This record gives sequence, C-alpha cells and structure tokens, in this order.
Amino acid sequence: MNAVWQAAWAAVRRRKLQTIVIGVVVCAASATLVMALGLLEAAAAPFDRAFAAQQGAHLSAAFDPEKVSEADLEREGTDSAGPFLQTTVDTSSSDVFLGSLTVVGRPDPGGAVDRVSVWQGRWATNPGEIVLNRAPGTTGRTEVGSRISLPDRPALTVVGFAHSVTGSADAWVTPAQARELGPTALQMLYRFAKADTAADVDAGQARVTAGLPAGALLGTLSHLTVKDKATSELGVFIPFLMIFGVLGLVVAVLIVANVVSGAVVAGLRHIGMLKAIGFTPNQVMAVYLVMVSIPAVAGCALGTVAGNLFAKPVVQDAVDGFGVDELSFAPWVNVVAALGMPVLVALAALVPALRARRLPAARVISAGTTAHTGRALRIQRWLSGTRLPRSVSLGLGLPFARAGRSALTLAAVVFGVMTVTLAVGVTMSMTAYNEAVRPNHADRVELLAGPPLGLRVPGEEAPAARLSDAEDESMLRSLPGTTALLAMSQLETEVAGGTQKAMISFYRGDGATLGPRVLTGQWPDGPGQVVVPSRFLNQRGLSVGDTITVAARGNRTQVRIVGVVLTNNADQIFADWSTLDRLVPGARADSYQVRTAPGTNRDTFTAAVLARDPGLRVLPPRDGTSSTAVIIISAAVMLTLVLGAVAALGVFNTVVLNARERRRDLGMLKSIGMTPRQVTVLLVTSMGALGVVGGLIGVPVGIAVHQVVVPAMARAGQADAVDILMNVYHAPTLALLALTGVVIAVLGAVVPARGAARLSIATVLHNE
Amino acid sequence: MQNGDAVVEMTNVRKEYSDSVALDGLSLTVRAGEAVAVMGPSGSGKSTLLNMIAGLDRPSSGSVVVHGTDLGVLSETGLALFRRRGIGMVFQFFNLLDDLSALDNVALAAQLTGTSAGQARKRAVELFGELGIAHRKNVYPAQLSGGERQRVAVARALMNRPALLLADEPTGALDSRSGEQVMDLLLDLNQIGQTLLLVTHDERLATRCATRLIEVVDGRIAREHSLERAL
Ligand SMILES: Nc1ncnc2c1ncn2[C@@H]1O[C@H](COP(=O)(O)OP(=O)(O)OP(=O)(O)O)[C@@H](O)[C@H]1O
Ligand SMILES: [Mg+2]
Repeated sequence: MNAVWQAAWAAVRRRKLQTIVIGVVVCAASATLVMALGLLEAAAAPFDRAFAAQQGAHLSAAFDPEKVSEADLEREGTDSAGPFLQTTVDTSSSDVFLGSLTVVGRPDPGGAVDRVSVWQGRWATNPGEIVLNRAPGTTGRTEVGSRISLPDRPALTVVGFAHSVTGSADAWVTPAQARELGPTALQMLYRFAKADTAADVDAGQARVTAGLPAGALLGTLSHLTVKDKATSELGVFIPFLMIFGVLGLVVAVLIVANVVSGAVVAGLRHIGMLKAIGFTPNQVMAVYLVMVSIPAVAGCALGTVAGNLFAKPVVQDAVDGFGVDELSFAPWVNVVAALGMPVLVALAALVPALRARRLPAARVISAGTTAHTGRALRIQRWLSGTRLPRSVSLGLGLPFARAGRSALTLAAVVFGVMTVTLAVGVTMSMTAYNEAVRPNHADRVELLAGPPLGLRVPGEEAPAARLSDAEDESMLRSLPGTTALLAMSQLETEVAGGTQKAMISFYRGDGATLGPRVLTGQWPDGPGQVVVPSRFLNQRGLSVGDTITVAARGNRTQVRIVGVVLTNNADQIFADWSTLDRLVPGARADSYQVRTAPGTNRDTFTAAVLARDPGLRVLPPRDGTSSTAVIIISAAVMLTLVLGAVAALGVFNTVVLNARERRRDLGMLKSIGMTPRQVTVLLVTSMGALGVVGGLIGVPVGIAVHQVVVPAMARAGQADAVDILMNVYHAPTLALLALTGVVIAVLGAVVPARGAARLSIATVLHNE
Repeated sequence: MQNGDAVVEMTNVRKEYSDSVALDGLSLTVRAGEAVAVMGPSGSGKSTLLNMIAGLDRPSSGSVVVHGTDLGVLSETGLALFRRRGIGMVFQFFNLLDDLSALDNVALAAQLTGTSAGQARKRAVELFGELGIAHRKNVYPAQLSGGERQRVAVARALMNRPALLLADEPTGALDSRSGEQVMDLLLDLNQIGQTLLLVTHDERLATRCATRLIEVVDGRIAREHSLERAL
C-alpha cells in the first residue's frame, strides 16, 4: 500500500494542472449539486417549510369581544397565541392607498404560534407605529417611513415589514394602539396536534370553541385555505425550480465523469510503466483511484462549503416569494453532496481504470499513439481534402479521435444549451402571460364615469360624469385619436350554488377587440351570454355551454357560458351590456376604455376629454409588472448563468486534456510552421464543432422540455396553458439560442487553447 | 542561394535552463550546400543547438541569423512563418500525426502555406516517388516501419523546398539497415544541393554523408573537421 500511496502522491504533485482541474471541476460540481439538491428540496414544499418555520396557525379565529372575555378563550393543552385586539381600518383617504386593512395589536412578533418574521425595519413598539405584512422583498409602493393617514385619526408611520405565512393580519400595531383604533374582534391563533385535513381542523375548532356563547365566533380561517391560495399563486415556480434542480444535477455528474475518466485515459502510458516495474493490476487501479481522489475530496469539501455560501442566495431568491426567509439547506443535502460526489468520482474513475487494469503492459505503453477508430480516420481523410484552412479541418477531426470524451463534453454542452433555451422560453412565457392578464396597454386611456355599481368609494368625492352615458360615449368616439371604445359597468353578484361572490363586468362597444383574450368559444354578443376564465369553471365544476343563475340587487337572471377568456382573476364574469338591463335596468357605464391611434399624445387626449366632460376621472396608466414574474425571470437568469458556466468548465477540461494528450502533435505542427494563432484556432474549432452540434440538439430538447414544464407551471398556478404561453420560440430567437452552444464551447476552449498554443515546443520535445 | 553563402550564423549563443547551461557561448556558421554533422555526448547541447536554429526556442544571449534574418526580432508567429518556408525538420520520434495517412501528413506542410489540398497531395505523391515509398502513401503511421516513418518525415520536411534541412538523430530509433537507408537519402539530397545540419551519435554514418563534422561538448564546439566524403 505504501508504494501505491507514494506513486499516487507523486502523480498528484507532478501533474499539477490535472490535479487543479479535477479539484476545480469537482468543487464547481459539488457547489452546483448542493444548489440543485437545495432547489429540489426547497421547491418540494416551500409553503410547508415556511409554515413550519413560523409555527403557522392551523386556525385563526376572530371572536366577538362583547360576548367573550379574554379569560374565556384560554384552553389547556392547545398551543395558541392571543387574544389580540383586531380591527379594520380604511386607508382610502391616504396617499398610499392600501384598501381596508385588518390590523392586529400584538406586543411582539414571536410566541408559540405564528412567529411573524420581521424582514425589514422593526416591530411596532410605540403608538403611531405600524408594521405591514408583506412577503419578503415586496414592499410595493410603501417603504419604512411611509405615513398612512386614517379618517379622523392621527396618521400611522410604517416602521417595518414583516411576513406572516398564516396571513394573520394585514398589519400590526401595539396593543395600546389597537385599543385606541377601536377593536371589533379578538384574534386567537391555534396550532393543533393534528391538522392535516379539513375534518381535523373542524375538530380542533370545536374543541377550542366548546362552551362559548352562541355567536361568539365571528369567523375563522383554516391553514388549508391559506395554503391553497398561496400555492395557486406561487405554485407556478415549483415545476420550474424542479427542472432546474434536475438539470444542475445532470450537468454536475456529466462533467465530473468527463474529467475523471479523462485523467485516467491520459495516464495510460504511466499505467504501463507502473506495470512494467511490478505493480499488480489492482495496485495500478489503486494508484489511479487515489490520484484522482485526493484533489476530488479536497474539491468536494470546498465545493460543499462554497455551495452553502453562494448557492444559498440563489435558491433563497427563488423561494423568497413563499415567505421562506431564513433558508438553510437540510442536512441531507450536504451529506449527499459531501459523500455522493467522491463516490461519483470513484465510479467515473473505475470504468477506465478497470479497462487499464486488463490491458497488457506493452499495449498500454504504446497506447498513446494508436487507439484511433476507422471512422475517425475516414473523417480526417475527408477533411484533409476539403477547402477549409488546415487548422480548421484538423480541429474538426479532433473530436472523433476521442469519441467517448467528446460525447461527454457534447452532453455537457447540450445540457447547457437546453438550460438556456428553457430559461429563455420560460421567461418569454411568463412575460407573455403577464402581458395577457395584466396588459400594460400604453395606447389605452381608462376613464371613470362614476362609482362602480354596488361599491361605495369612501373618502373623497367620487367621479361623477356630467354628460349622460350616451353623450359620453359619442363624445369619446368623436375625439380625434379614438380608434376603439369600450363602455363598462361592474356589479358584484352571487352565483347560485356557490358561496363565493363574483364580479360581473358588462361590456358595450368594441368588447371583442378590447376585452380579454377569448381562448375558446366566442365573445358574448347578446343578452344572457357570458364568458368566464377557466379557473371559474374549474372551481365550480362548470363547463362551456352550462347555464348559471346570477343575482344582484334583488334581481336574478339565467346566463349561458359561451366561452373561456384569459384573466388572472378566478371570480370574474364578462357579459354583454344587454344582460345588465335584466339585473339593473337603466344603469349607466361606470367606466370607459379608449384605444388611441398610434402617435396620439396621452396628455392632449385626456385634456380634450376633460374639457368636454370635467366629471370624468382619468386613471393613471397601469403598472404591468408582477412580482411573481420578476422573481421567476431573475431566478432563470441566475440558474442559466451558473449552469452555462459549469458546462463551459466541462469544455475547458476537455481542451486541457486534448492539448495535453496531443502536445507532441502540437509541437510537431509548430515545428513545421503552424503559428500559435493557428494552434488556438485548431483547438477552439474542435470544441466549436461540438458547440454547433450541442446547439442543434440542445435547442429542440430545451423546447420539448418547455412544452412539458410550462403546462405544468400553468396547472400549478391554475392558469390556462394557452398558445401564447407555448409558442414563444421564433426564428430569430432560435438562431440565437443555437449559437449559445458555440458560445459555451468557445468560452470554455479559448483559455486552455491559448495556453497550449503558447507552450514552448522545445520543452515539449525535451520532455518526451 | 549560391553555394558558399552563409545560411546559418550563430554568434556567441548561450542558453541557460533553470538548472543547467545547455549552450555556452557557441558560434557556428553553416554555408549553403554543406552537410554538417553534429556529434557529442548526451546532454552536451546538440538538440538545443538545432532548436535555436529552427526558432523553436530562444537563446538567453547571443544572436542567431538564418537566411539573413535575425530570429531574435521575430515574434512567435513570425518564427512559425519563417519555419514554414525556410526550415525542414526531422526528429527522432513523434514526427507524424497518427490520424492522418502518410500522404496527408506530408501534404499538411504545404497546406499550411495555403496550397490547396489537391496541389499539396500532387506534390506529396511526387516526393513519395522520389523517396521510394510511393506504395505506402495511403497507409497510416501506425502501420509503417520505423525507417518508412522517417522517410515520410523527410518527405514532409522537404515539402516546401526549404533552404535548410535540420535532423535530430533521425536514425536514432532505427536498426542499422533502416538507418543507412535514411542516411543515403539525406546524402542524395545534399548532393543535389540541399543544405543539411544533422545530429547523430553514429560516427560511421556521419563521416559517410557529412562534408563537415563538429563535436559539441558542454555547450561549446570542442573540435571541428572538414571531411572528404567517401563516395
Ligand atoms: N526544455 C528544457 N528544459 C530544461 N532543461 C533542458 C531543456 N532542454 C534541454 N535541457 C538541458 O540542457 C542540456 C542540453 O540538452 P540537449 O537536449 O541539448 O542535449 P543533447 O546533446 O541533445 O543530448 P542527447 O544526445 O541526449 O539528445 C541538458 O542538460 C538538458 O537537461
Ligand atoms: Mg538530443
């Protein structure tokens, strides 16, 4: 064993470049592996993780303070937090409009249940301070220091942002401040021993409310409902993160196999020498395994640490939206990376080492010069006759001489290209979806004509059109610049058979042009017809062609679903104006949407509108960004960069090995007058060829994966996997994507190729 | 180039490696038409001398002028272009690319200068004929004998009609019969005017084909004699 150790240690020290390359590659691969496994784990159940980390409440309950005292609510044997004073404040008169906020008075964010995490600023400790509930990183238009004014009260100052996965409140203040705001309920937060099903939660609820007077319980919220909502909003991430985790895993495994088996093949001559001086086949194998393992173990240890340090922020970013605020990789992730990577290295080394073990010493010694297949020779021969510059044609033939290594390198490039293709596709799908459901129409002007029907707009004066509905419409149509017009009215409605309310929008005018995109069926064009989003159908078990009953203002009418439209809101029904007369006869439009001709100045146009009807109110242009889309896109960019770099590292290693193995050939070529530049071209071309092939394979595979992942994302997000999500790849994009293979290959190849080109020939010849 | 013009002029060339001095102030002139044999003990600096002339390595001090060009002023690329046209080299081992046929190995040298594949192969076939290995032109190096490989290497060295042919122990790896064949080939070439500088350990071969013999010891020229060739 001593001799084995000595020979292996000598090899490690003599082959510094190889040692370093193995170390670096294994280090990068381990870090990628940690990231990939961390992603897979984090993506598996981000809501559950965040919920568990915060000891989220299985049940949030609001009690009537008139009917129960704080003492009544105490229960032995159940973890709980509260009672906290709860109230609702109206922020509509504030500059920062936040709608109506459920505010809870809480002395501190900790406790046995619902450990709210303060991720920016601090907790409210003084009167006049308020902390808003936001997912980490999403402060919206507010910031620490923003003031929220309330009707007839001193304003509150935002001192921090916190996140409750349970969603126990929209904002928190001190208990004293809550009392001052006039509490309307007492909040209790419970954790039950068993809460996996609705029945479990109901049983728990029965236990904690037993013996309380009737009507004491005002309302409850089960964690199952919270989870449902959270995962339908952010569940889109999960298939996406999963696939990136798997890709990272595969790329890491591939380059390690490539590097390690390459080291053994490059050492065949050395193996022959060892055999010649009396090493047994098993000892030779041991020398090689040890030689490769020394840098591999060091790289693996470093990589695992680096992965925890550097990959964590990437994964953290990706799962931030779920409220996972202090991510730590589960122990198994590190154990698998720290132990699995050396095992992988050993396996990768074992295959060629076993082959070397079987080879007779004489064959092995001469192995450096032969081992070329007939196909490789025929290809070289054909290339020799082409009109290509000789350094290019020699380079093109190079991959065929080492088919196994080229295949592994190619695979790494393919996965790199695939990752880029997929990431670009997902980004474009997200953008397209966002564009469709949250259109950011720069060419449309929205005008309010009055308070939406059925809704009271609190605070200042509501818009009130001076002209009649018909006059407004014809006025708007007659303005220069108007190309299409939509008059709308909204109504809150009950859909018979369901408990959830829905909004019904009545459209008059160019609804088919300006309304939401119709996916199936048609836009309603007569009384009694409606279109809905597919989530509306799914959640209520309906389908196109069904008839539903809608009720509002004491009237009810039957409508038939004639189509499916694309919107983000599940509880939205669209109907033709003629249907409105059945529910609210004689109602006027409460808003108008005008599409203006290209080149129309928005300010001039709105000024013209207001000059004719000063009662109309112009809405500011819509902000079309979505935090989900932003997060997915930035995660895609990060992951693409990481995987692209790892794939390039695989190419780097291949060029190092090829140049090392071929240094005699390269020296000879230089001796007959090949310039350093031509040598660089030769080596870069050899990889560029793989890059081209990698691009041609990787792009279609990436597209195929996109076709699987995007519908899965859509399903998870309860959205429709429609054509605008699927058909995102167009010819120019495809051409650019195919080029990424070449970019990865060339970036990986240039540095070692230049190194090889500069290598002194005298040294090479001297050392052989 | 006229016979008698200086092809190589080395002046006071010194080459140091980290732990040894390979050339120690060596000066040497080689004239057109000469066949110079370099001999000397192992490690005396013979290969280093050849590498300097081919521009494969740079001296630590002193100057090397070949065909009137001071190699010291050329860049790496300049040296490569100079070698392409001005120098043909034959080594003891590793002369050929394993994955090219004998013919393509030879054609390669011309293709580097921009000659088309067809033209290059045509010229290579001529050379194969002249060197007596025409029947082996489509064979791969692994299937050639040692002597045949060296003759292919010589053919490649001659491909661009270099003014100077350098050979570092071209027969070192060969049995004596094959060695003699290669030497005969070099002798023939010299007789039709090819300037030749070759390193060899075999005194008998050296005296048979060289017009001048120099002996290098410890990086210096220790002895030098002109030879009457035994024809
Ligand atoms: N690239 C190099 N790096 C370090 N030392 C070198 C290098 N090339 C040559 N040397 C040293 O320079 C000296 C001369 O070497 P050189 O190869 O010129 O000898 P040689 O006369 O050709 O020997 P041989 O007959 O064995 O081929 C030796 O001591 C050798 O170790
Ligand atoms: Mg030598």
